[in-house]
Order: sequence, then C-alpha cells, then structure tokens
Amino acid sequence: MKALLPRLVFWSLNLWILGYTLVIGLALLLQFAEGELPCPLCMLQRYGMIASTLGALWIVRQAVSGRLTPATYVQGFGLGALGAFAGAMFSARQVMLHILPGDQGYGAPVLGLHLYSWAFVTFMVVIVFTALLGILAPAALPEAPRENSLAARIASLIGFAFLAIVAINAVMIVFLEGFNWVLPDNPTAYALFGR
Amino acid sequence: MDIVILFVLMVTGLTIWRGAPRWLVLGCWSLALVMMLALFRYHVTSSLGLSF
Repeated sequence: MKALLPRLVFWSLNLWILGYTLVIGLALLLQFAEGELPCPLCMLQRYGMIASTLGALWIVRQAVSGRLTPATYVQGFGLGALGAFAGAMFSARQVMLHILPGDQGYGAPVLGLHLYSWAFVTFMVVIVFTALLGILAPAALPEAPRENSLAARIASLIGFAFLAIVAINAVMIVFLEGFNWVLPDNPTAYALFGR
Repeated sequence: MDIVILFVLMVTGLTIWRGAPRWLVLGCWSLALVMMLALFRYHVTSSLGLSF
C-alpha cells in the first residue's frame, strides 16, 4: 500500500492532465468542426482549466526529474485548486446567465448538459481531488517511473499533448480576437479575417 | 487581453517543462490569474436578474 499510493498519485495527476487536454481538445473540435465560436466566459473557463492543470503538470515534471519536494507538491496543488476555483467562478456565472426556464443556453448541449455546466462539474471534481490528496500528502508524494522507461515516456507524451493544446489555443485566439483588446460577447466570426 | 493571458499561460507551461526556478513558475502563474480575474471583472457588467 505504501509503495502503491505514490505511483497511484503520479498516474492520477497524469489523468488530470490528460482529462483536461481532452476536454479542451473537444471544445476546439466543436469550434472548428461545428463552427461554435467560444464566448468570453467560455474562453475564461478554458484558462481556468489550463491554470489548474499547470499545477498538476508542475508536480509531475518535478517528480519525473527527481526534484519533487513536499513544498512543490503542496504548491502544485495550491495552483490546481485555485485555478479550478477561478474556473468554477467563471462557469457558475455562465450557468446563472442561462438558468431561467425557457433559456436555450449558449451552444449545443453535450450529453444533456452545456459545456459550461460540464466545466463546473470538472472544476468541482478537481477541487475535491486536490483536497483529498492534500489530506494524504504525507504518504502520497508521487513516485515517477524510471527515466526512459515506457511509463516515463507516456507521462511526457501526456504533458506534451497538454502544452500542444495550450499552444493551439494561443494561435486560435489570435485569429478569434484579431486586433481587438477583448472578445465580443457573442462572437460570430474570426476577427482577424475581418468577417 | 485574451492573447496576453494565453501567452502567459503558455510561458508558464514552458517554464514548468524546462524546470525553471520556483519563483518564475509562481510569478508567471499568478500574473495569468490576476489577468484572468481582471478580464472576468470586465465582462461581468450586469447583475443577474434572478430572484430565488
């Protein structure tokens, strides 16, 4: 149990990174395939997901390089929880905007809920997860797989995929925002193209 | 503003990936969070018309 828990924590942190990579990837897919352009609050929720995941990525990278200390471990969870709290605030605001009966909401629902409702659920999961791992902290300092092992490569690949998704968003937002300082409330076109 | 936020988040990710010092990671991350909250404040311009 003592040896299992640190490994379990390591892979659960990778699952956190992979989960948000897939969620943001799905949002990008809907954006490019269905033409559902993200509103300002939608983008803020993506930033919350990214900020939160950076906490997990920090812990994983430090563990892989063998430099993880209890201080970094706790600070990583701090970043994760705070990022998730900010994201929850953004998504709660959007849920409240569309909570009145008869309101169709923003965008198409996925599995019965709109993306901002799902985002709120994921932020709550992250906050509970960080709290639980905080409680287990003394025994659960993650243990990374051996360097150059298949498991270490998989962990690196997950981290790289997350950074790639952030980079794709960074390029996309230049096209969406164009030369404006902020996004319009209800974007209907990529501002850089001027249409 | 969104471009700047995503740029700072990406830089934070790269500093983490490259194993940069703690102060740099925390500094970049905090800057991104402050800008996110400022942008949120900018977009929230009206009170919700709800009565429970």
